[in-house]
Amino acid sequence: MRIPLLLVALLLATPAAAVLRVDINTGIAQPLPIAVPAFAATAPAATQAGTTTDLGARVAAVIAADLGSSGLFRPLDPAAYTTTVTPGDVTAPQFASWRTLAAQALVTGNVTANPDGGITVGCYAYDVFSSEELARQGFVTTAANWRRAAHKCADLVYSRLTGETGYFDSRIVYVSETGGKTKRIKRLAVMDQDGANHRFLTNGQNLVLTPRFAPNQQTITYMSFADNKPRVWLYTLGTGHQEVVGEFPNMSFAPRFSPDGSALVFSMATGGNTDIFRMDLASRRISRLTDAPGIDTAPSYAPDGAHIVFESDRGGSQQVYVMNADGSGQHRISFGDGRAATPVWSPRGDLIAFTRLGAGKFRIGVMKPDGSGERLLTSAYQDEGPTWSPNGRVILFFRTVQGRSTTALMSVDLSGQNERRLKTPLDASDPAWSPLLP
Amino acid sequence: MTERQSLLIAGVAHLALLAALSIGFELNHREFPVPEEIVPVELVQIADTVKVAEPPKPSIKSAPQDSAPPPPAPETQPTPAPPKEPVPDPTPAPKPKPTPPQPAPPKPAPPKPQPKLLDTAELSNLIDKTLPKAKVKPLDTSALAKSIEKALPKATRVDPRATATLQAAIRAQIAPCWNPPIGGADVKRMTVVLHIELGRDGSVSGRPEVVAQTGVTGGNADYARAFAETAKRAVLRCAPLRLPAELYEQWKSFELNFDPSEMT
Repeated sequence: MRIPLLLVALLLATPAAAVLRVDINTGIAQPLPIAVPAFAATAPAATQAGTTTDLGARVAAVIAADLGSSGLFRPLDPAAYTTTVTPGDVTAPQFASWRTLAAQALVTGNVTANPDGGITVGCYAYDVFSSEELARQGFVTTAANWRRAAHKCADLVYSRLTGETGYFDSRIVYVSETGGKTKRIKRLAVMDQDGANHRFLTNGQNLVLTPRFAPNQQTITYMSFADNKPRVWLYTLGTGHQEVVGEFPNMSFAPRFSPDGSALVFSMATGGNTDIFRMDLASRRISRLTDAPGIDTAPSYAPDGAHIVFESDRGGSQQVYVMNADGSGQHRISFGDGRAATPVWSPRGDLIAFTRLGAGKFRIGVMKPDGSGERLLTSAYQDEGPTWSPNGRVILFFRTVQGRSTTALMSVDLSGQNERRLKTPLDASDPAWSPLLP
Repeated sequence: MTERQSLLIAGVAHLALLAALSIGFELNHREFPVPEEIVPVELVQIADTVKVAEPPKPSIKSAPQDSAPPPPAPETQPTPAPPKEPVPDPTPAPKPKPTPPQPAPPKPAPPKPQPKLLDTAELSNLIDKTLPKAKVKPLDTSALAKSIEKALPKATRVDPRATATLQAAIRAQIAPCWNPPIGGADVKRMTVVLHIELGRDGSVSGRPEVVAQTGVTGGNADYARAFAETAKRAVLRCAPLRLPAELYEQWKSFELNFDPSEMT
């Protein structure tokens, strides 16, 4: 009796072991095709920056340029769009027409003129093939600040689709150079990360080097040769006020802010030796952090403020060292071929970017804070001076073309791909990237 | 020699001859053979062994669908020996009583039960289930397996070659549509398994569901979501899939395992 029952049970049970499973082990790593049609104007109106319709087109162009420059997206050519987005389409797009263009994601939005003269930019991101809305947000700003609204929308789309935090709403300060090799004029300049809103900060009378943003973005620290004394200065962006941080008798240079903005680390030459010092900005008191023979320079804080990476030639050649924020525990971390210089700690804290000098070339590389996992990202003649984007994904540096004295700002993605030039009015060097603007 | 002497000799010779002849007759006397032991013999019809315990032909009807055991062939003799004799009879087998052997023509009627004799055939039938007259027949699992297989849904009876080509067909259509994330932290170590339901025309019904995902930590949840979305997009972009209609039962519901670890 038991055996026939077992047979009946076997017949009635649906076997579960036969679900087909297919392994997909290869794909095609390519930028995501994305469509960014002109933003619709909820109602035609005039603003200080143009009509809302006009603004809608420009906002979409800025977003498309941002996403394309990251190397992870491929904005489709607007000439190929088959539909224009009406205000009703913004929240309910016709996905079929976007699918025929092979767009995988869609960004739509609208621009509204506010009664107080400002604008509201609504930003919507959709997945075309599943017809799902991915993200939406509105940004209220002055009409003149419309670019920042566009950058924030691009950050929203970027972070939703890649999982990274955004970096488009940020600025870059650098040294703008002009003149020949012997009559070089160097000026501080600041611009948006896409090159817009460019303005000069100094007039080029004095040689300026290595400008860096404060975390609150209101101040820049740099080194200037004013009065033929190389010293560290502070520049307040809102007022244009410049001041020297300390009347030191000797050279001071290579300044950087601490992550909380309360202190400055820089190099100072005393008694024939160059060491790293820390200055508390409120009290202007300095404390010595290193004391080794040799040149210690280019200090950079870790994002948690607990460690500092710097460059030293105490071992006979320039190499990268890490120490605790109080100067203890100094140890070398770079052991590759050649020399290593200008280290910068990533805002994500996971990597240190530096310049690898050797075999007749300067190349940009990254390594982990313990020195392992060194990867070289570029391979040209002279690439140096790296700085990180706010999300720790893109590295900006400057490149000198062999045989010429021109320098230009270049950016490269952390994967080593998407090397592209950042256009500046004149030659450029020593870039520094600000944190994300709030 | 006188006549008398010769007559005497002749008479003695004749008597001797007669004696010799009569004794020799005694010696050549044949007797009926006497059986020394009685061996009980059962005669069985040759035809019976063929018909007993024939395995049922594979068919749905003969599959064990109810609680009755498979019926034996109709010509089978009912078990001849009495079933109530589990212990061998201890009486000694040879009996001096001569039993005439059974008549040669086989009888269809059951032979008389002999409970007092040790029935070794009966013993064997108890012990060895493969014998034709075994009391407990073994289950014929070969036919059973066939009938179960035929009764199961078609989807589970997969030909390995068909499955392999089906997997290759699915892979060839979905892999080119998959754009895994470039360069994000940890995405090289992530995998995601999607469950897909397809209609007969190969289009996706409903949405791909994430069944399992590996490599997700607390810190990379955003990357994990972006990674899973690239997998879903790969399926939706390349739908409808072109797959053989006769294997629809196999590909109407399946899983896809996206694993970028081998990509450079």
